[in-house]
Amino acid sequence: MTKYAFYPGCVMPTEQYAYEVSIREVLPLLNIDLVDVEGFSCCGEPMKSMNQLMTLYLSARNLALAEKQNLDLFVPCPMCHLSLSECQRVMESNTEMRDRVNSMLASEDLQYNGSIDVVHTVNLLHDHIGTEEIKKHVKKSLSGLKIATHYGCHLIRPSEVGRPVDSENPQKMETILKVLGAEPMDYPEKLDCCGAMLSANHPESALTKTGQKLQKVQEQGFDVFVDVCPWCHRMFDSKQVKAGETVAVKLEIPVMYLTQLLGLALGVKKEKLGLELNLSPVDKLKLGDK
Amino acid sequence: MGIVDLTSMAEGQTTLRNEINERLLKLKSEISDYCFQCAKCTSGCEAHKLLELEPHKVVALLKRGLIDELVNSDVIWTCMSCFKCRERCPQKVAPVEILFALKNMAVASGKQIPGKYTAMLQSILSIGLIQDVQTVSTRDNKTKKRDDLGLPEVSKPVDAVKFQTAITKLAVEKV
Ligand code: SF4
Ligand code: SF4
Repeated sequence: MTKYAFYPGCVMPTEQYAYEVSIREVLPLLNIDLVDVEGFSCCGEPMKSMNQLMTLYLSARNLALAEKQNLDLFVPCPMCHLSLSECQRVMESNTEMRDRVNSMLASEDLQYNGSIDVVHTVNLLHDHIGTEEIKKHVKKSLSGLKIATHYGCHLIRPSEVGRPVDSENPQKMETILKVLGAEPMDYPEKLDCCGAMLSANHPESALTKTGQKLQKVQEQGFDVFVDVCPWCHRMFDSKQVKAGETVAVKLEIPVMYLTQLLGLALGVKKEKLGLELNLSPVDKLKLGDK
Repeated sequence: MGIVDLTSMAEGQTTLRNEINERLLKLKSEISDYCFQCAKCTSGCEAHKLLELEPHKVVALLKRGLIDELVNSDVIWTCMSCFKCRERCPQKVAPVEILFALKNMAVASGKQIPGKYTAMLQSILSIGLIQDVQTVSTRDNKTKKRDDLGLPEVSKPVDAVKFQTAITKLAVEKV
């Protein structure tokens, strides 16, 4: 078993339970041991528009807490992953800022040393575990399943900060899904944003972005839309009906977290993957019905 | 202490404002000169079609020193942080980073903060997370909580007071 400290962030552990349930169920089957750590806070990324220093401080604080565990950090949310990666970059390149942040962290007996890596679901599966290993565990092929993937903006950009996946032609999820027997296919709107970041102050426009993308996905006849971000999933799955209203289309697209679909392929019962929490019509898929 | 009290603490805000102003002037002198107004950023901007954000114009206005005008405009709050402009700019200008600095300035200047940002900050101040644990519903309308699903307690700051002290400082002043 390889150990990782588990950084849940805000959105997943307070609302997007299907992601967390499926992660906790599936990763141990692939010999990953997740260690829960006390005391984490928000990564700070949602506060970037208000106060970037706060973003940096909060990220550094979480990294410092994880360092105490002496374990690399598993971060399933792309927003958190970007925030923590950007923080590492600033702290490595700007010693003045690093000293300043460390002096603030001292009040909680914390210090940033930069000794650990942060890993997202996609590169954990693709690069650390590897598709060869995943292949060994497949119990039920997803053959014939036509899949549209959505990576989420923060997972692929800005590449300057160092992202786990290519910014213009991300293919790591596709590689994983092919190993599961499925047929992922590119589509013109693949890199389009879900709009979630506008939910705070332009909720209608945020939903319109979601609706526009899903409408195109539906028109192209995909069986399922797969994502790896709790913010994106909240838009595409939890708010799909409302998103459809903004573009005057009845949307009926099954949306799943990659870890849920992976779980089904590994033979995990659907009750254990939080599938009852998906509000999109995932029953259409007729998978795992045994 | 709520954000309303925080933003009215004039002295701390002055230091914060000066610092953000320095950041903006640096962006103006170091970055905006590289921009040749090709508008590639705007052509791919996720907020452009829907909300008329034109990142290349933001860069042009910054170059002309119209910082107050930008800080006071609503349009800076339409960016959805997709980072396409930063990724694709042939000159390595990052309009999205200029927009973050402008919004930071608007907040530090006591402008009205739009939407749910204040609520998120208040929640971070009180529990460390942007929202507290929610009860959700299943497709067949049953309600579920974390423990119904066998999930452990959420990780949050252990010593809330120490955590709040640090964040409050950050919200009002240069540390
Ligand atoms: S910021 Fe970059 S992409 Fe945008 S107009 Fe200027 S040079 Fe072109
Ligand atoms: S980050 Fe903002 S300004 Fe840049 S392309 Fe995306 S929405 Fe437009």
